[in-house]
Amino acid sequence: MGMKGRLVAVLAGVAMVATIAVTAASGATRTDPGVTATSINIGGTFPLTGVASLYKTIPAAEKAYFDYVNDTAGGVNGRKINFNILDDSYDPSKTVPLAQQLVSQDKVFAAVGSLGTAPGLATWGYYNQNKVPQVLLATGDSYWGFSYKKYPWTTGWQPDYPGEGKLYGRYIAKNMPTAKIGVLYQNDAFGKNYYAGLRVGLGAKKELITDAESYDATSTSVTQQILSMKAKGCDTLVIFALPGQTITALVTATKVGWSPSATFVGNVSSNRIFMLAALGAGANLNNVYSTTYIESSSSQKNLPGVKLAASIVAKYAPALQSSFDNGDANVMYGFGVAWTFVYALQHAGKTPTRAGLMKALHSLNTTKNPFVYPGIRLQTSAKDNFPIEQEILIKWAGQDFQAIGKLQGGVR
Amino acid sequence: MTRGLATRLTAIGIVVAIVVLLGFTMTDYHRGLGARVGIYFIAILGLNILIGYTGQISIGHGAFMAIGGYTTAIMSNYHHTNLIATLPLAFAITFVCGVLVGIPSLRFRGVYLALATFALAVSVPQLPLKWSKWTGGSNGIRTHTTPGNTWLYEVTWACVGLAFVGAWLILRGRTGRAFRSIRDSEIAAASSGVSLPIYKTLAFGISAAFAGVAGSLFVLVTNGFAQPNEFGVTLSLQILIGAAVAGLGSLYGTIVGALFVGLLPELSSSAPLIGSSHGQDVVFGAIVILVMLLLPNGVAGLLHAIDSRVKSAIKSDPTAS
Repeated sequence: MGMKGRLVAVLAGVAMVATIAVTAASGATRTDPGVTATSINIGGTFPLTGVASLYKTIPAAEKAYFDYVNDTAGGVNGRKINFNILDDSYDPSKTVPLAQQLVSQDKVFAAVGSLGTAPGLATWGYYNQNKVPQVLLATGDSYWGFSYKKYPWTTGWQPDYPGEGKLYGRYIAKNMPTAKIGVLYQNDAFGKNYYAGLRVGLGAKKELITDAESYDATSTSVTQQILSMKAKGCDTLVIFALPGQTITALVTATKVGWSPSATFVGNVSSNRIFMLAALGAGANLNNVYSTTYIESSSSQKNLPGVKLAASIVAKYAPALQSSFDNGDANVMYGFGVAWTFVYALQHAGKTPTRAGLMKALHSLNTTKNPFVYPGIRLQTSAKDNFPIEQEILIKWAGQDFQAIGKLQGGVR
Repeated sequence: MTRGLATRLTAIGIVVAIVVLLGFTMTDYHRGLGARVGIYFIAILGLNILIGYTGQISIGHGAFMAIGGYTTAIMSNYHHTNLIATLPLAFAITFVCGVLVGIPSLRFRGVYLALATFALAVSVPQLPLKWSKWTGGSNGIRTHTTPGNTWLYEVTWACVGLAFVGAWLILRGRTGRAFRSIRDSEIAAASSGVSLPIYKTLAFGISAAFAGVAGSLFVLVTNGFAQPNEFGVTLSLQILIGAAVAGLGSLYGTIVGALFVGLLPELSSSAPLIGSSHGQDVVFGAIVILVMLLLPNGVAGLLHAIDSRVKSAIKSDPTAS
């Protein structure tokens, strides 16, 4: 090795040491994955395709809200939010590798708003093992609320199904004490949780349930069930079903000449666009009741939250315009979830940490969310992992739902 | 023939070396993907034995994967069975199911058999909803323990090795000849003394058993979570497409078919756009059409064509020894 060679070697050595020193120095302020000085990476899995793809407006609305916050407020504490939307087609076997991709490839700070009970159940072990927040899940099962001890990195957002079922039970027991109730429910945990809630809500009036008919999630006809309820003289119909079967049930009831004096529809299926579809197919929607916990973009246009949402849609998500105008509840839902995440992030420390985010989500106490129904308080504690526990009954009036009565609490 | 065998052994050796090397160098995430490719390899291999070697079509192999997968999930959940021990169990159970399905298939041929197996693909994943008390219904059922990606990669590729050697041993001998004779002409096979009922149901059983093991591993790679949506009709179709891309009637294209169905969805899922979210399916479909147009016999057909070109080139070259 000549003189020149040695010099090069020494220089190379110096350069390497310098590089390591600089790297170490910049690494001195260690942050959680996904957080830099100017950005914060988050992601979520959603059914953009497949059976549940009508929920794809949710992540689109969430992204629009994050873009809006990035533009108008420069993100949160100077960090712009990058929201990575991945498509799992509602298939847990696809959700799992996507969750791994989010955590180990995309290095997200948190998984936010991911949709579906089964996809959530397939991945919550993984997220919790890696201590990655899996927050504000878009499903109404009660697992997320109850399992905070075993799964401290997971939270839900919306009111749970049993709580909503209870609400209908209480309403019927109080206002329709002589009703003969027919219940149509999906033969799985989703339908059965709803049904169990209804029975709890009815309390001593449980015997009002005259007929309870189940159907399998994949069947497209519920005619037998509807005919059976009609034949048994039911005058009140309660439907705990997914949108497709709910629409079918409403249409079938009308077609077989049965007009119950009241029909209750679980709020997962009472989105106005589904009701309009049922109406278009000839269903009689008089006396259809449901519940909501978010504002309606079609019937509450004058609320500040809806106005804000309208301006965000117009600027950041023009593709959502017609859904929004038609009162697709999923758009307002997405805004409400995104707002909650931003709010929690603001309270997760100046340089947010994953632990800080979870702490913020476990100590929510605010009525400021502009997109949820006016008056709803997002509230959690170390032992209460149900952010929203209030809902209001709504009743179909011609072309849209209208609220009846006041907000009801204790929905869980 | 010895030259051909040497080439094949070299090719297999190279693939084995790559698999082992990748196992050491890949990130944990990529080991998970690698395990998925291995799972598709086993399923496609199984389907190829049925379609490519015995000439019986099945578009219902997702159903056998579901049976295998639920076997693992249920055994581990209720009895805390060792996960590896559930694999031979899944093999045995799906073998029996395959034979049972094979019996009516003796009377179905061609498109009718395709439809019958398609019905299987549609109906079997609904059974867990019917018996939700034991299977968890639409909320699924999970194994007692969940293995990591390294474990999955190693176990899956070990199974791939066993499956490949097993398939090769079955197909090279008397059984394989019987299968092929059935494929080429059932009448000729029967008149040469090949028992159609025995060999046709046997092919169904073996093929289903491969799919069953793949299904077990499929559940394990899904964090040990079995749920009906995982085993939809598209899964059956994906395996069929994988087999078509690989090339029917040859084992050597299988790796390409497995890479194709195992990796393409992952690669294209990173570019989701609301409104054009079906881009992935379009890309998938377009490639399948291209493969069918340009390589009607799949990758195996391509390899074969290259091989015979080389051979004829050598033959026509007088200086070659």
